[in-house]
Amino acid sequence: MKHSNTAWRMSALGAVAALALTGCATQGNASDENPTLRLGVVTPLASFAPWEASWANQSPYLQAVYDTLLHADTDGSIMPALATEWSYDDSRTVVTFTLRDDVTFSDGTEFTAEVAAENILRFRDGTSENAAFLTGVQSAVATDTHTLVVTLVEPDPAFLIYMTQNAGLQGSPAMWDDPAAQTEPIGSGPYLLDEEATVAGSTWVFERRDDYWDAESYPYDEIEMTLYGDGTALMNAVKGGQVDATPLQSGTQLAEAEAAGYRAEISEFDWTGFVLADRDGAVNPALGDVRVRQAINHALDRDGLAEALAAGWGTPTTQIFRQTSAAYDPSLDDRYPYDVEKARELLAEAGYPDGFTLAMPKSDFVPEAEYAIYAEQLGAIGITVEWEMTGDDLFGRMLGGSWAAFPMQLQADATAWQGIQFSMLPHSTWNPFKTEDATVVELAQTIRMGEEGAEEQAAAAQELNAYIVEQAWYAPAFRIQSAYVTNDSTRIARQADNAVPYLWNIKPAN
Amino acid sequence: MVPRIHNSHMITFILRRLATGVAMLVTISITAFVLLNLGATDTARRLVGQTASAEIVARKAAELGLDRPLGERFFEWITAALTGDLGRSWQSGQSVVDAIATRLPVTLSLTIGAVIVSAALAIALGALAAGRRGWTDRVVQVLSVIGGAIPGFLIALILVLVFAISLRWFPATGYVRPEDSLGGWLATIALPVIALSIGAIGSVAQQVRGSMIDALRHDYVRTLRARGLPHHRVVYRHVLRNAAGPALSTLGLQFIVMFGGAVIVEQVFSLPGIGQSAVAATVVGDVPFVMGIVIVTAILVVIVNLAVDLLQGWLNPKVRLS
Repeated sequence: MKHSNTAWRMSALGAVAALALTGCATQGNASDENPTLRLGVVTPLASFAPWEASWANQSPYLQAVYDTLLHADTDGSIMPALATEWSYDDSRTVVTFTLRDDVTFSDGTEFTAEVAAENILRFRDGTSENAAFLTGVQSAVATDTHTLVVTLVEPDPAFLIYMTQNAGLQGSPAMWDDPAAQTEPIGSGPYLLDEEATVAGSTWVFERRDDYWDAESYPYDEIEMTLYGDGTALMNAVKGGQVDATPLQSGTQLAEAEAAGYRAEISEFDWTGFVLADRDGAVNPALGDVRVRQAINHALDRDGLAEALAAGWGTPTTQIFRQTSAAYDPSLDDRYPYDVEKARELLAEAGYPDGFTLAMPKSDFVPEAEYAIYAEQLGAIGITVEWEMTGDDLFGRMLGGSWAAFPMQLQADATAWQGIQFSMLPHSTWNPFKTEDATVVELAQTIRMGEEGAEEQAAAAQELNAYIVEQAWYAPAFRIQSAYVTNDSTRIARQADNAVPYLWNIKPAN
Repeated sequence: MVPRIHNSHMITFILRRLATGVAMLVTISITAFVLLNLGATDTARRLVGQTASAEIVARKAAELGLDRPLGERFFEWITAALTGDLGRSWQSGQSVVDAIATRLPVTLSLTIGAVIVSAALAIALGALAAGRRGWTDRVVQVLSVIGGAIPGFLIALILVLVFAISLRWFPATGYVRPEDSLGGWLATIALPVIALSIGAIGSVAQQVRGSMIDALRHDYVRTLRARGLPHHRVVYRHVLRNAAGPALSTLGLQFIVMFGGAVIVEQVFSLPGIGQSAVAATVVGDVPFVMGIVIVTAILVVIVNLAVDLLQGWLNPKVRLS
């Protein structure tokens, strides 16, 4: 009897193990002609409702189910999508779009200019992080079923770019007053959300839409997006071969990913360093003197900071514009070499030979070591940093002008105008003290009157960048390198103006 | 011979426990709601993002009702909650009830699995140590201390490294629902369950061992042995049952500890459970979702404690009578 019990237990154990191994065998990518794409994502979806939608790392979720009015090519140039043609009037404030006439939403509703106009206005008036992109939209009207006319208050060279992103997302009218819009998208995009298989906040499953107007651009029958909020889980998934393509959370993960057989594409989208916000000296008079701001720039050992804060995955710089922008000037990357003596001289010239005290915010979001390094480097030129612990009111207070300067990691926008609009104009969100500088405003006005690449605009952008660096509005330390990795069965084309590749640029390697 | 007791005693006992549970739920709801709202001063900005303008942040705050008095918002929440409506997550827009219904089975799979594994191994090890003593006892004690001393996340990492990444016996991350594939479900929860269990096995085994050693000294054990009952029957049928009470209490406690400990394990294995989403919701100040989790967790605690009490009564009639 004892033996038979033991035998039964062993059999049961064996059965469980076999079941478990069967389960293992079912994991992984199918090898059929149109396999499932297993995409890693590192940011949860804010909302499927177009008027609440975010972009950048969240673009894959939205591109699966929605179309945008326009597409951006890998180099950022504007391409047709739902709009096949577009043109500006002479004042560059009226844009006329000709829309496709063969597009329907997944609920069967026809896509028309009237729907497009309403989507644009809803985004402008909505609660998306980027709703401010469209504050300059005065009106959007349908002049016929497939012609849309958008009128801007002032010229905005980034407007067409916005139409390739979240501001250009087109949702069905059925979503507009639906309380479930945040989780149940009705778009005209290439895929449908499989709500049954989706666990919101963790895994999203999308199935191909058979009647999509541009089906050949999307080779996968199914896309499974898994959120890896935790770095360890992400690397476990990469090493376990459970994702085909994913962004990494830091460059330090790259060696492990490459050891697991993944290929990497490196890009630089963000910069880290100080925003020297109080350029008029309202909170801290010392910061009102350009020599003090320049001294802070000279105090930074940028190579050392890149090594200490990003394990070497950073490019030292003193400018905040991205390399793809017309404003970028490689010679500005070393305008302020690490020079403690020079920094002390500048402080003395400004009337602060013994340094001064600078209050800055500190939060749990940033490792303690980072504050210690910054304090040490500024301390070396006589600036005593008083860190003020903050909670979740950090951003509100920071943007409200509570601190003259603060360490921050910020995006470097793809175009000069986007960067200027974000942080340099008197009304810009990231211009906490609303600094108004005549040179900046004048150059910005020239830049906004033309295309990013036009000669006059490019020259103005370069001049503005040089001026901002000379005036030391910021003390950037380095541009952060980010990696996007793919396995052998997947290839991507990296997007110059987005943190992750656009969905139609992710394809099977064969 | 188990003495019979009136059903009415049992019903009174259960009702009393349930009333205590309801009082606890109300207290926890008020405390959690107040703490969440007082502690979160910039929820709207965290939800819309750091690059949003002040106007958009204000628009979001008004949409969520954050500009209304706290008491009014709590009254609205509790009124809806009493009808089973826990609202929608501020972060994902999903119905909180649906979100929890999707995620709770994942966390319960881990926790119940870990309780079963811990109970089976801990009772076997504890009984072995108490019954044999000598070097067996010492080995079990050393293993228990080691098991309790190693942090759960470290065990999880080692398990992933060895069994998922090197040997590829199990998936490193992810979850398969049992209705989709029973084998897949077992494969995805196996390592997390082991990671959660190891700490509990040690403490429960120690409890079982101690209680059994005490029980083995009682007169009835000598009597049973004098009657010629085999050693294993004395130990496993009589002594173990009498010694099971304290172990059961420890196991009940461990269930609650493991439910909380699942947060780390779910993150390491990227499992879509309650813990993983609780962390994300707390970070952004998603009040409806966090409140939903608080309520569900509190109900689970009440149920587990009640179940432990009832089981104690079943194991030991003296507890029932008292």
